[in-house]
Amino acid sequence: MAQIAGRNLSLSNLEKVLYPSTGFTKAHVLEYYRLVSPYILPHLRGRALTLKRYPDGVAEEYFFEKRCPSHRPSWVATTEITRGNGEPMTVCLVNDLDTLMWVENLASLELHVPLARADTPENPDAVVFDLDPGNGAGILDCLRVALILRDLLAGLKLACFPKTSGMKGLHVLAPLNQKKTTFDDTKKFSKSVAQVLERNYPDLVTSKMAKEQRVKKVFINWSQNDSSKTMVCVYSLRAGERPTVSFPMTWKELEHLESNGNPDKIQVEQSEAVNRLKKSGDLFGEMLIMKQRLPYI
Amino acid sequence: MAMQSIWSGTISFSLVAIPVQLVRAVEPGRVSFRLLHTKDYSPLSRRMFCPREEKMVEPEDIIRGYEIGPDKYITVTDEELESVSPERSRTIEIVEFVDLKDIDSIYYDHPYYLVPSKGGEKAYQLLAEVMRRTNKAGLAKFVMGEREYLVAIKNIEGALSLITLHFSEEILPDDDILPGASPIETLETARMKKIIKEMTADFNPAEHANERRKSILTLLKKKAKKQPPVTPPDIEDDEEGPVDLVAALEASMRKVKKNR
Repeated sequence: MAQIAGRNLSLSNLEKVLYPSTGFTKAHVLEYYRLVSPYILPHLRGRALTLKRYPDGVAEEYFFEKRCPSHRPSWVATTEITRGNGEPMTVCLVNDLDTLMWVENLASLELHVPLARADTPENPDAVVFDLDPGNGAGILDCLRVALILRDLLAGLKLACFPKTSGMKGLHVLAPLNQKKTTFDDTKKFSKSVAQVLERNYPDLVTSKMAKEQRVKKVFINWSQNDSSKTMVCVYSLRAGERPTVSFPMTWKELEHLESNGNPDKIQVEQSEAVNRLKKSGDLFGEMLIMKQRLPYI
Repeated sequence: MAMQSIWSGTISFSLVAIPVQLVRAVEPGRVSFRLLHTKDYSPLSRRMFCPREEKMVEPEDIIRGYEIGPDKYITVTDEELESVSPERSRTIEIVEFVDLKDIDSIYYDHPYYLVPSKGGEKAYQLLAEVMRRTNKAGLAKFVMGEREYLVAIKNIEGALSLITLHFSEEILPDDDILPGASPIETLETARMKKIIKEMTADFNPAEHANERRKSILTLLKKKAKKQPPVTPPDIEDDEEGPVDLVAALEASMRKVKKNR
């Protein structure tokens, strides 16, 4: 039984190893999320959480849970959302440390959230470019595409921010924070960007979903700009072999990694994530406040 | 914040007013499925079909008809329906208290919890406790979501619950289901009593799991493990984006290429 901010929460199976290759336990997971909570909570706040639970660790079966578990404590904030089929569903909102700890006690290693907040589900606060390397392509190709994308968007006076996915790819996000922007807008915009990149770098980029089109190329998954999709939240752990984190990068770092030719160093694991946050703060802070408008939409 | 409230207002009777919120008491455990096109797993949607013309009918071409006889309808528009809908009420006005056992469970429709709002805690507790001791339920009418409900407010483990009740005209007559009266023999009565006594247990709903739900979930889990989920194709139209946007992107692209 743990007391967090005066609320009782019984934590279970703390010694259970969730990442067998490194011996990272559930207690470690809880401690990681406790340490990064000041940074991750503003990004989770008010968004319908999709839990991705690994009750027996990353090597075993996992399951997605969109519905907020009915056994939740009474103080867990929830809201009703309407699903694609028109049925209402109660979802969890991770607005405070207690809820974050409760969610992690359920071994929800990965935290996935939509690009829109639950009270304005059709209005994304950012446009995302999900750079996903196909077979035979790697993180170095993603880095190249990300840097071209940055310059391309700069020509339209749009600033964007990169983060690692914590797995194979990169996410580049441009904050919008405009009430009126819809997913139609962001989808149309990101698709046009992907098509222009594809046309100009046909050997490097594809905008097509089909697996065979993606070989040795970076797929710009523009279809993530959709109210029904979720993305892994910045600072979330990933359930890979090692406890990597979806972590923000500076453009300088990406340029450096690209020219040094050792792009695998890009992965940030949990302890480094904590250290970097202590040193540099939330590199994704602008995502919460910067207002930009999509041009020509 | 706890559960999402679906209505807030006041319980009132005599000089008492208790601010409360209404929250759901049950969440159906039904496993719901989407219907997909077998060809490419695109999710399907429902549309209205006119069998006479063999054509789909758009929402603006649809009107409600109340059937008064074969092929005879009285049409009603949304506006007309709205004009007779009751005003949304802010109070649950208890009109009388009745013995809980007098409300046959056949009248019970849907249960909710009542949660005290700020300032109402004391009066709420008092009412819940007195209802518990006296085994009474408060009868009230109130409007939620454009419908008027007859409701019973009763104690449930120290809290108050609200149960919407069927109106008496909704209850079907049971005259036909009763067998003709024939004398009941004492011996048979005694035997039946004994059987029931032997099978008597405490009501423990947790022992009766929803087996169908459980087996569906097990099936889904097994299938998810064995095979990757199917996904509909993206709408891969090669349609170009807005002309101005594409032109601006191409112009920016030329600059980028020059500088790299």
